Amino acid sequence: MLNKLSESILDKFSMDFLRNQVLKNAYGNDDTLIAVRDPRVLLLWYLFFGLVPWFVNDIVFLLGCFVLVMITTLLARVAGLVLFLFALGVFSQTGYLLIVTLLFGGDASAILPLLVLTLKVTTVSLASVTVFSGLDPDRLSNGLMWYGCPERLSFSISYAYRMLPMLMEEFQNVLLSYRLRGNPPAHDSIPGKIRYLIYQVKVIVHSFYPLMLNTAKRSRTTVEALEIKGYRYAASSKEVRRMKLASLKISYDDLIFAAVSFLWVAVTMLLSSIL
Amino acid sequence: MDAFQNKQVSQSQKLMVFVLTMSLYGLATLFTELIPKFQVGIVEFSVEYFLFIPLVLAMLFDPLSAALGAATGELVFSEIMLGQFGGLGELEKFLTVTIGVYIAGRLVRDPRNTKMVGVAAFVGTGAQLLMGTIVDICKVQFAVEDFEAVAGLPESVYATEGFAFLNDLIFSGILFCVLPTLFLVPRLYGKIEPLLGMNPRTKETSLGLFSAKTAAGCAVAFLCAVCAEMLASSGFELIDWEASWAESGTAMAVGMIVAAVVALAVLMVMRGKAQTAKVK
Repeated sequence: MLNKLSESILDKFSMDFLRNQVLKNAYGNDDTLIAVRDPRVLLLWYLFFGLVPWFVNDIVFLLGCFVLVMITTLLARVAGLVLFLFALGVFSQTGYLLIVTLLFGGDASAILPLLVLTLKVTTVSLASVTVFSGLDPDRLSNGLMWYGCPERLSFSISYAYRMLPMLMEEFQNVLLSYRLRGNPPAHDSIPGKIRYLIYQVKVIVHSFYPLMLNTAKRSRTTVEALEIKGYRYAASSKEVRRMKLASLKISYDDLIFAAVSFLWVAVTMLLSSIL
Repeated sequence: MDAFQNKQVSQSQKLMVFVLTMSLYGLATLFTELIPKFQVGIVEFSVEYFLFIPLVLAMLFDPLSAALGAATGELVFSEIMLGQFGGLGELEKFLTVTIGVYIAGRLVRDPRNTKMVGVAAFVGTGAQLLMGTIVDICKVQFAVEDFEAVAGLPESVYATEGFAFLNDLIFSGILFCVLPTLFLVPRLYGKIEPLLGMNPRTKETSLGLFSAKTAAGCAVAFLCAVCAEMLASSGFELIDWEASWAESGTAMAVGMIVAAVVALAVLMVMRGKAQTAKVK
């Protein structure tokens, strides 16, 4: 029974599962309320919820912000794996700190500041999950470009989203072919398990050797194709930039989104000043 | 042939190195982000450090492009794609990775010299980890209110951060950076460069010794990384401002609510009008 359970968990956590989750996160939901927002408005929104919570220590206000970003995260329909990783990250970080604090002779008084810290971290990271996970990659890179981010960065984002499936598949293939040809050590006993772990790490390092060569070839092809299309000239040309960004339009819905967020913040401010 | 052995790499080759490092390191960090870490006691075992990839490439190719590519790859693949973008903290990570990889790449003048490759890989990783540790300590100090007042917290932060630094340096520094780098650099040397249309790096074509100017550049970049965190400390003024406003703020908050409601109503009406106009 237990064996079966762990097997099914491992099954779920395979390379394909990871790939599907990442792809789903990147391409899966481009029709949500968050994905169709104007990237410029959303980035400004993020700037507020990514910065302000760090500087405020009022619990009511922080809770209000937290509830709002939680709603937007739900609206963005973020992939489950991302949320799981996020939760793991936040709680392992601050929970760990709490345990060590207690170990060093801290008492219950340490819990409250840490709770505030957790709330801050959660709010800020949920805001970033909403914006960067919910938004369509192309729109995101256009939005960043509009704010004057270097062309390199927006190129990297678009490139990454298109190349990632291919890269992951190639990595998996190389890894599998190494596994196929290799002879893993028996892993029943503890030293055997350690040997097995070392073997796995070795396989991963080895598989980067063909991967590096292949990717080198591919990146040369990419760059040459870019050069043919005049990429480096286009990157510095103002006119090209204007044409590229002409697709961005702020609609009434975007403004309503901003206004609702503003209203929410104002209400939490009122609550925090009354309470 | 000598005329072709241009010391300077062309712009498009730099872009190739950038793209190469970005995709490889990005892919690797994506996996480390996805694979959960496991802890035995307080020793954390994680495959955190695939830093050997940019280290290898920085030693074989143009260090600056490789360093920037690695930092961008990490930012784009594992932070932005997974939606874990952490704002200011990412700037610090970006700069420390860039500096660490760049230092390692500059230290190696001849990739065939294995001793130098090993030392450079260790120094690069160590520099990156040390800067990360310093910034981490600052971060907790600024984020927690009355840092000194919480019993046991300052010591615990120093202890955990210091321990994490040593643990990372020994575990990932040697196991995941030095050994794979020593394995990969001699193998790739002379094989991977022709694929990008370049000549292998030799003593003559290397960028020269680590000069005071580069060191100063690195120091400035590190200061920027710290400044990104100090920006959080300037938030103390913001807190004061926030606090004074919170006391007298009921009226102001009510005003803001009224403004927001009015704006919302106007926007709704305008959107309704625009839609009916479209239907007509």
